[in-house]
Amino acid sequence: MRNIYRPELMQVIDARRQTPDVKSVRARFLDPAAGRDFSFRVGQFGIFSAFGYGESTFNICSSSNWRDHIEFCFRKTGRVTEALWEIDEGDTIGFRGPYGNWYPMEEWEGKNLIFLGGGIAMPPIRCAIWYALENRERFGEITIVYGARTVADLVYVDELDKWAAGPGVRVIRCVDPGGETPGWTGEIGFVPMVFERAGVPAGNSVALVIGPPVMIKYTLPVLDRMGIAPQDIYTSLENRMKCGLGKCGRCNAGECYVCKEGPVFTMEQLSRLPTDY
Amino acid sequence: MSRIITEAGLRELAEAWLRDGQAVAGPSEVKLGLIQYRPITAAARLLFDGFVHPANSIKEFFFPRHEPLYRYRLEGSRVVLEDCEPPAVKQLVFARPCDAAALPVLDHVFNWDCADEFYNRRREATTVVTLACSRYDDECFCTSVGLGPAAEQGADAVLFALGGGAFEVRPTTAKGDAAFADRTEESDRTATPFAGPPRRVALPRVEFDSPVWEDATLECLGCGACAYTCPTCHCFDIVDEGNAAGGMRAKNWDSCQFSLFTLHASGHNPRHAQPRRQRQRIYHKFHIYPEKFGPILCTGCGNCARQCPAGLGVLNVLKAIEASHAEHLPA
Repeated sequence: MRNIYRPELMQVIDARRQTPDVKSVRARFLDPAAGRDFSFRVGQFGIFSAFGYGESTFNICSSSNWRDHIEFCFRKTGRVTEALWEIDEGDTIGFRGPYGNWYPMEEWEGKNLIFLGGGIAMPPIRCAIWYALENRERFGEITIVYGARTVADLVYVDELDKWAAGPGVRVIRCVDPGGETPGWTGEIGFVPMVFERAGVPAGNSVALVIGPPVMIKYTLPVLDRMGIAPQDIYTSLENRMKCGLGKCGRCNAGECYVCKEGPVFTMEQLSRLPTDY
Repeated sequence: MSRIITEAGLRELAEAWLRDGQAVAGPSEVKLGLIQYRPITAAARLLFDGFVHPANSIKEFFFPRHEPLYRYRLEGSRVVLEDCEPPAVKQLVFARPCDAAALPVLDHVFNWDCADEFYNRRREATTVVTLACSRYDDECFCTSVGLGPAAEQGADAVLFALGGGAFEVRPTTAKGDAAFADRTEESDRTATPFAGPPRRVALPRVEFDSPVWEDATLECLGCGACAYTCPTCHCFDIVDEGNAAGGMRAKNWDSCQFSLFTLHASGHNPRHAQPRRQRQRIYHKFHIYPEKFGPILCTGCGNCARQCPAGLGVLNVLKAIEASHAEHLPA
């Protein structure tokens, strides 16, 4: 009997503390055939499990070009993530996926890309950034604005420098006022204000904005003033999910099941959905 | 001509299934005054008449409250998974038409895009015999949702009480034919048509943004009794039961009426107040499900109202929506 709820087993090959409460994990399919058969598109998510504790939903934050392993990143906030916090190299976890839709990277070709992320929302942007950098010639200028409450809350800090070294890539780091350290060389301020101050040219651009609701709320008017249309502004919703298969009934916003028709939406699409997210 | 079976004949049928090691479920008096659908071990426990609607639904024979999905065992850092499957027995389920009618509706959600074989296996293994209604109460509203006291949707055979302990049998599928083969007698007695409850509400247009949610559902306690006793509510949770050494992952019933149902890890909750959760339930039944799959997610059984400690229920909310539309009609 085909069991749609049964996960594949994965072996953790690296578990790294990104901040005091955020970890990133690299994992590889235990079954080589499952690994060979697996493919996904950046923006899709997986349901990851710690056996004995349960399942949690995270974006697959590695690039879809990386065939050797996948990565995910999480904040320690509950029963499952506290159990995942304890895993280490060699441990076995469960994975179901990939689920959901993805960033339309082909449609973005030839355009300038603006990535705006806040806090723990960098991982679901990171997969698209790496994908764009690995296919650099297909995209225009790349701007990345990444902010967190404090310097200690920034994730994938080591990669920010790698991205900034790429041709035609501008990386702007910021922390909330009071979150800076004495040696901080980035900006101080909230993502929407720092982004507006940066004066990024908006012509022929698409924006991917992921972060806490308050960040998105204040970022949208900035993008609007820059002349970026709602259908060119993308986000990824974080509705709570259990099955990921359009059955368990909790992630919907109106008739849209976020696990099936999402999690990636344009602001134009969101404006037509009930505000149940 | 019609085919008839006696009540004794129905009990013999049930006993024959039980003797064969198959499962039988149906309305049964659990304790004085409480009638529920239950798996039975003796055919004498089955009730075929003399009640309006059991306090639960038959969905648990297809979508159990608690369903093991697979077992896990930890051997050092190695994890071993073992699939779980539904028991390989046939089921004979006696049901009211409003319960049986929920099955073809639920087939959609458990099979769109990918198939939930736990549900499908049980569905295939089950013969549903409906007991056409000959009475109704104030909560029944099957006729308002396009069904009726002898609706055939989801049924393999329909039984009509003829009085004097006799039932007319009308099989509607091959399964139903097989169940009653050689168990009926020809007769010229046929059931008198029964109209069922009056139409209580014209299905109103259900809108997401409406003052009716706050106004009509403020009394809701969020207990979830409506969802648990509803033949069509199908939301579930997936949880681990066991410890770090071994256990199972299971699918358990859940309800959109619970505050934790949609709570994000960040603390944000899109449905943070009870009226929003009531809105989800009604909007899901009368807008989301029909938009997505066609049929509405309600069979008018009335259990939500019968079991609600606050006197709510789908029918009352629909009436409130209808009244609010009337209030807002242009002069």
